[in-house]
Amino acid sequence: MAEKSFETTSQACCSTSSESSPILALPMDTPLRKVLSRISGFASSWGKKTVTAPRGRRIFHRDVEQDEFQNGSAHCLSSYYSVFVARLAIMVMLAILIGLLTVLTWHFTRVYTTKSLNTLAYGLRYELLQRPILRMWNVLNSTSEITTAQVKLSEYVIKRYSKPTNQAELIELYQMMKDITWALFASHKALNAITINYRNGFVQAFHRDHRSNNTFYIYSDLANYSISDTQSSQQGWNDQFIHGNESAIWYRQPLDPVTGEKQGKPSQIPPEDLINIAGPSQVPDGVASWHVAVSKYTDSPLLSAALPVRDASNRSIVAIVGVTTALYSVGQLMKELVEVHSGYIYLTSQEGYLLATSTNTPLLNNTANGPKLMMATNSEDRVIRMGAQWLQKTYGNKFPPGHVVHVEKANLGGQHYYIDSFFLNLKRLPMVGVIIIPRKYIMGKVDERALKTLVILISASVCILVIGCVCILILTNGVSKEMKLRAELISHLDARRRAEASSNYKSQFLANMSHELRTPMAAVIGLLDILICDDCLTNEQYAMVTQIRKCSTALLRLLNNILDLSKVESGKLVLEEAEFDLGRELEGLVDMFSVQCINHNVETVLDLSDDIPKVVRGDSARVVQVFANLISNSIKFTTSGHIILRGWCENPIVSSDSGKLSPDQKNPLSALKTKLKQHGNHMKKASKKDNKMILWFEVDDTGCGIDPSKWESVFESFEQADPSTTRTHGGTGLGLCIVRTLVNKMGGEIKVVKKNGQGTLMRLFLLLSTPADGIEQQRRIDFAKHGVAVILALHGSMGRLIMSKWLSKNGVPTLEASEWNELTQILHELFHARTTNSGFDTHYSLAKPLRSKVQTLQDMKNPVYIIVVDLGLLDLSTDIWKEQLNFLDKFSGQVKFAWMLNHDTSNAIKMELRRKGHILMVNKPLYKAKMLHILEAVVKESYVEPPNGSPNGTKGTSKQGDSHECLEIDSSQFETCSSDDSDISEMTGANSASSVGVGEQLKEGTVLKSGPPTLRNCLVEFTRLGLEVNNLRTEEDQCNGRPKLHDTKDVKCENPDSSEQPSVRSNAKDRDNSYTTNKAANEQKTLEGLRILLAEDTPVLQRVATIMLEKMGAVVVAVGDGVQAVEALNCDLDRDENRTNRLQTEICDSPPYDLILMDCQMPMMDGYEATKAIRKSEERTGWHIPIVALTAHAMSSDKEKCLQVGMDAYLTKPIDYKLMVSTILSLTKRSP
Amino acid sequence: MDLVQLQRQLVDYRTSLYHEGFLDEQFTQLQELQDENNPDFVVEVVSLYFEDSERLLNELSKALEQQIIDFKRIDAHVHQLKGSSSSIGAQRVQKLCIVFRNYCEAQNVEGCLKCLQQVKHEYSIVKTKLESMFQLERQILNAGGSVPV
Repeated sequence: MAEKSFETTSQACCSTSSESSPILALPMDTPLRKVLSRISGFASSWGKKTVTAPRGRRIFHRDVEQDEFQNGSAHCLSSYYSVFVARLAIMVMLAILIGLLTVLTWHFTRVYTTKSLNTLAYGLRYELLQRPILRMWNVLNSTSEITTAQVKLSEYVIKRYSKPTNQAELIELYQMMKDITWALFASHKALNAITINYRNGFVQAFHRDHRSNNTFYIYSDLANYSISDTQSSQQGWNDQFIHGNESAIWYRQPLDPVTGEKQGKPSQIPPEDLINIAGPSQVPDGVASWHVAVSKYTDSPLLSAALPVRDASNRSIVAIVGVTTALYSVGQLMKELVEVHSGYIYLTSQEGYLLATSTNTPLLNNTANGPKLMMATNSEDRVIRMGAQWLQKTYGNKFPPGHVVHVEKANLGGQHYYIDSFFLNLKRLPMVGVIIIPRKYIMGKVDERALKTLVILISASVCILVIGCVCILILTNGVSKEMKLRAELISHLDARRRAEASSNYKSQFLANMSHELRTPMAAVIGLLDILICDDCLTNEQYAMVTQIRKCSTALLRLLNNILDLSKVESGKLVLEEAEFDLGRELEGLVDMFSVQCINHNVETVLDLSDDIPKVVRGDSARVVQVFANLISNSIKFTTSGHIILRGWCENPIVSSDSGKLSPDQKNPLSALKTKLKQHGNHMKKASKKDNKMILWFEVDDTGCGIDPSKWESVFESFEQADPSTTRTHGGTGLGLCIVRTLVNKMGGEIKVVKKNGQGTLMRLFLLLSTPADGIEQQRRIDFAKHGVAVILALHGSMGRLIMSKWLSKNGVPTLEASEWNELTQILHELFHARTTNSGFDTHYSLAKPLRSKVQTLQDMKNPVYIIVVDLGLLDLSTDIWKEQLNFLDKFSGQVKFAWMLNHDTSNAIKMELRRKGHILMVNKPLYKAKMLHILEAVVKESYVEPPNGSPNGTKGTSKQGDSHECLEIDSSQFETCSSDDSDISEMTGANSASSVGVGEQLKEGTVLKSGPPTLRNCLVEFTRLGLEVNNLRTEEDQCNGRPKLHDTKDVKCENPDSSEQPSVRSNAKDRDNSYTTNKAANEQKTLEGLRILLAEDTPVLQRVATIMLEKMGAVVVAVGDGVQAVEALNCDLDRDENRTNRLQTEICDSPPYDLILMDCQMPMMDGYEATKAIRKSEERTGWHIPIVALTAHAMSSDKEKCLQVGMDAYLTKPIDYKLMVSTILSLTKRSP
Repeated sequence: MDLVQLQRQLVDYRTSLYHEGFLDEQFTQLQELQDENNPDFVVEVVSLYFEDSERLLNELSKALEQQIIDFKRIDAHVHQLKGSSSSIGAQRVQKLCIVFRNYCEAQNVEGCLKCLQQVKHEYSIVKTKLESMFQLERQILNAGGSVPV
């Protein structure tokens, strides 16, 4: 049970880890599984013992794991477990490995050592055994030799004295025997005794006592023996012999050990064992008989050998010769041998009597009957005794054959000994040698060493194990950390993916939602506009509606922002690729914003460098949106100072910094020319390869600035530099975000740049392509050649500075004046000083540099002075301005005045100016294009005019029409540049309001037109009462050189800014009043003479529209579908063509219809198709008949579609009467 | 006496039509368009509307009876009806047409049929209302009075 749970746990653990970290699981999979199964095997054996205890804990762990898993954050825990298990497994394996290695090493070492040692020990023991055996042999041999020699000598002597007949002979024989025996005995010092036992029982013996170093001659009493007895039988000999031994009287006589001289009296002694040798019965066969004896003179056993001496006939034994040797030397040798090895050797007889030992213990037992031989088992030496006993016990009497025993481990009294025995098989004296060596001596070290080695090995293994474990711990720690990190990373990635997905959903949702919201919003605003135009509203209602409209606009703007943003984020934004005039767009933008800025006392300056290409390809609306957002942002935070929009082209060759003056100022013209040439060449080269170019822009303001820490974050959506901003300035924080996304989309970058001084400096670059062949040299009139000098009398210091720099760069000397007094001083200086003398100067306190400039101006020949005067310099609050004007008028012969008007300059002033002949009027702000235009106008004029022209030429010229100004107001641009609300519906709403105004305006215009015909060529100042002229733009007429051409081209205006609703209201009110008063008269005339083609399939609508149009005096041709419409047009076109062919001279400037109202949904051919067809057919003639769509789909996408196919405007059903009229008017009056 | 009453009745009736949402300002515009040159303009347009609408409603009924319903065609018809209704200011019909078109887009046959019934109903109401109004007007004119604006 426990096993199973553990296994599942481990598997779960494994699976979780593998699920959570697929990367990890790949290499870890199989080894980990193996390890786990092994561990589970271990655990099962272990778990059986501890079944009960860990169960709860495991379950708990499992629960925890499951919980964690459910929570989705089990990665760490599971990885921790798997790491722990792996760690444990590796450690166990290591432990086993090291243990095995240790044991094996130890075992083999020990076995080999033991084996070799055993071999050595065996050799040693063998050697040890061999030595005493050899010595024994030596002893035996020498004894046997001596015995043999004695025997031979005795035989010789006895042969000489064979058959002794008398006592004397016998005695002589004995004496002779005694002598030779002595000689032999003396020559062999090691001998203990030599005994000659005669047949008759006489005994002669020499005895040497080694302890006292005495030598004795022992003999028996001769008196008892007879010669005859020698001839007795064998039996008799034996008895006699024994008897003789018992009964004979023995004498002992000490001798000089060296000489053998008798030294004392012989003393009687009892029969002596010492010289007791084997009797003749024991040696019948002539082989030596061996006998072990004990003596009271020695404490070691004696070995005696006996040989028979035969008579000459070799028939009978005459005597027996015995030689006795002490075994003492053998014991000595044994002692010496064994002492080194601390072992023991002993020799025993076959019966077990000790003959020799390596110890000093006595070998003899002193009993009452004298010393007796001792049994080995009774030895006083403990080891020998125990060894003997052990042998006795082990083998008893049944010794293995040969008595050879090798025992390696005999336990004797708690100690181990080696016991080896050998058998010395002597004839009649078999002997057993036993060697006992303590095992400790040979193997003790080995055993000790083995133990030590084991201990050392084990400790070393433990050390290695511990180190290994630590290493594993460290290693796996790293791994587990990595695993944890990976798990975290994976979870983060997952979270990020989800977040991205949700963000994507969000933007998708926003995109959809805001689109859905926008449509009704557009409708709301459009309806509100209609409502505002309604005349039956009370003032209160009107105010409310206005307020609603304002709010709706704001809401719409917000929606648009969100839509833009989500469009970009979801990657749906596609940038247009169309050529547009970048300079003009930006100028329009600055014009628009300058109106706002004037209220804020902020100066808006446009500073574009000359090298910026005029025409670029890109999405003009988006580019303008970028700058509009930036500038409006700047305006929001700038309360005073200036906002500069700088632009230059990144070009390494041309030093295009507009702020810097060209280094070779002395010859600026040539420098400019070469520069331009270089520029042109470079551009041409560049354009061939890749005509993309980088345009840099800066928006520089003197507002409150942005904290450097927020420089990045301001571009995030809904991010504002200061949370309080929303309260004080409003806004949602989307503007800059849109800017950045758009800029990035255009391949550029935007960032906030550190700025000296107060305010913010945003720098961005855009990657815009220039038309492949569109790089034209900028046409420039050589102003320096004309001797033009400019006096800039402007309020805004920044604009003035930039303008004057630019002018002087282009070779036009300038003077600057910031206020009225300064201007008058300069004028005095210039003209009075010239006309009168220089003594006058003292009055004027002109600054030095200014004076020098004035001097240079005075040095010029026939300069044409242009004074650009800001109307703001005049004191408009009182009537002083008229005097000031008069003052300036005095100079009008010498100088040309160009007036900078404010957007709210009252009409009276304009009229006054015009009356005085100041026809050069431009609206603020002043930028290059306007300046160029002024300069060119003046230069052209001075060209046409003879140098000696009348001083009051200005008036004359204006009447002659030589100099004229064309102010073109192009509203179509402003659809895109009206800040960020590029919304269509709003535009239509605004259009509806404005175009009505235009209609009125046109009335005025026609009045003007119908008035003095001479005014046709004259400047038509666009002065719409009430409505701000905020977006007026002057545009230079390229064909200004020809005196006679267009006059007012198109007058159209709009009011996109909702902040000016009050004025709209008043305007609307005025207008509506006028409607109510002279409604009939006005209406009848509005569409007088217009030919309108109406394509509408619904009869009701057709009828209604027809009546509506006809009521206003238009001629309506109604057709039922698109095919008819195209046909109607084509047959007219054909007719026209025929007519043109017929009348070659007549200029065909009139299409058959002035306008087409086209229903979009029609049978046969719908409005879109029809429009396409018409536009196609128009290509032949070059006309452009305005086509107005009528559609019931009040959706902006429809409008886009309409405009796309070539329609000009868009009306929704049901037809709004006023809206229709205004739309028609705005379209038809464009082309006369 | 009668004339004044009739005139008041007409004005009341017309106002009620506006209030009840049968007509909207478009109808006012139509009336404004009527002048000496086109004295019967409103009646003319409205009768045009009746003709056209009846034709369209018939077509719609037929189209919806078909086995295979051509929703595109139905949509075009409803669109036309919507256009003409909005032109004369028959607000309710117009609104129903919008609903109708939504069903068309969704290709919901049941919804379409239901809507067609409703449209027919609304249309008949408008028709009777307008006709009775014109009758009142005619009565006034016959009585020698002028139709109040």
